[in-house]
Amino acid sequence: MPTRIVLTVILLCVAAGGRAVAHHSFAAEFDATKAIRVTGTLVKVEWTNPHTYFYVDAKDDKGDVVRWACESGAPGALSRRGFKRSLLKLGDTLIVDGYRAKNGANLMDARRVTLPDGQVMVGASAGDGGPQ
Amino acid sequence: MRTFVVVSVALALTAALVAQERPMQLDDTKVPKGRPAPRMANGKPDLSGYWKGTTQTRPGGNIGKDLPGWKLPLTPAGEAALKHNLTATVDPEAVCIIGGTPRHNASGLPFEVLQGNNKITFMYWYSYFRLIPFTPGLKHSDDPDPSFFGEEIGRWEGDTLVIDSIGFKEEKVWIDENANPHSDALHVVERWTRPDYNHIHVETLIEDAKFYTKPFTYARTWALGEPDEQIQEYSCSENNVDAAHLGFGPGPIRKDGTRGYDNPAPLPPPVQKK
Repeated sequence: MPTRIVLTVILLCVAAGGRAVAHHSFAAEFDATKAIRVTGTLVKVEWTNPHTYFYVDAKDDKGDVVRWACESGAPGALSRRGFKRSLLKLGDTLIVDGYRAKNGANLMDARRVTLPDGQVMVGASAGDGGPQ
Repeated sequence: MRTFVVVSVALALTAALVAQERPMQLDDTKVPKGRPAPRMANGKPDLSGYWKGTTQTRPGGNIGKDLPGWKLPLTPAGEAALKHNLTATVDPEAVCIIGGTPRHNASGLPFEVLQGNNKITFMYWYSYFRLIPFTPGLKHSDDPDPSFFGEEIGRWEGDTLVIDSIGFKEEKVWIDENANPHSDALHVVERWTRPDYNHIHVETLIEDAKFYTKPFTYARTWALGEPDEQIQEYSCSENNVDAAHLGFGPGPIRKDGTRGYDNPAPLPPPVQKK
């Protein structure tokens, strides 16, 4: 079985099993037709309610550095699934997969976060009606 | 061999993650049934517990769940109010306004109940609660102050706790997660029971002659969480970055009656470990 498929299935299982605290509908803020990957340097973390945010500086197509706000579930929900504040270290390179804000801002719903050591964290607020 | 190693590591990681997080919803087919509900010293059922929705409640978040085609009987004024909610308002809960009754009963989030001899409290994520007295002989006020949960009065009918509520707000309220409306004429009658130890159930009558042509009902069952689970601190306005980015309404509603996209684009493929 292709590794990619197995990993995808496993991620889906984790996302479906865990429910973060949905503060609002995914679809009110994010566009599920615009899946994106942002790879960049972690520059700021806000481990807050109603959502956690972390900020990543990444180069755009022109080579300019753009700051992305990455929205995840509430701290309690992330913590219970093993996504701890201590895993996010300023200066680390993160790979963030998710969906862009509908209003075109550099804001994304961070549904999958790959840490420098390869650990994959589920950042989604799964109770928000977003893609599973 | 490489695939086997990666899969093994991934499975171990998954097991660890699942073990650490408990789901916010339960599969009711796996919840034990038949154990009698606990009772208070006065003989009434004790509704206390940390209650989770079940995956059998579909469509979640939709107050029309029990109606054919989930079609709510809106009046012309109700249709106009729905259009207003969809095109001119953001989700009140997303800007830290109380969801109120009956929206909290349609929510995907767990809630906690603590019952006393003369009052019962329902506690919700987002740090909201409602406290309902059920002292015998209570009556509604002639002109209650409008509120999100309304003026709530409880009474026991046998083993059923009846909560009768009037006096609701009309502005900045959605009756469910799909932006359906209610007016200040809303009257809600909830009939709460604990059919067994592991379940709590509500039968709800919703009347609102301004926005709905006839009364309709909403029923739902929740399952008991683990003994050490409870509502946690949740400060909604601590860092509400979302508020500036939210569109009006809940966004698309799927064919199955829930909020969200029917055909989302897949995420980029997972990163392969080196």
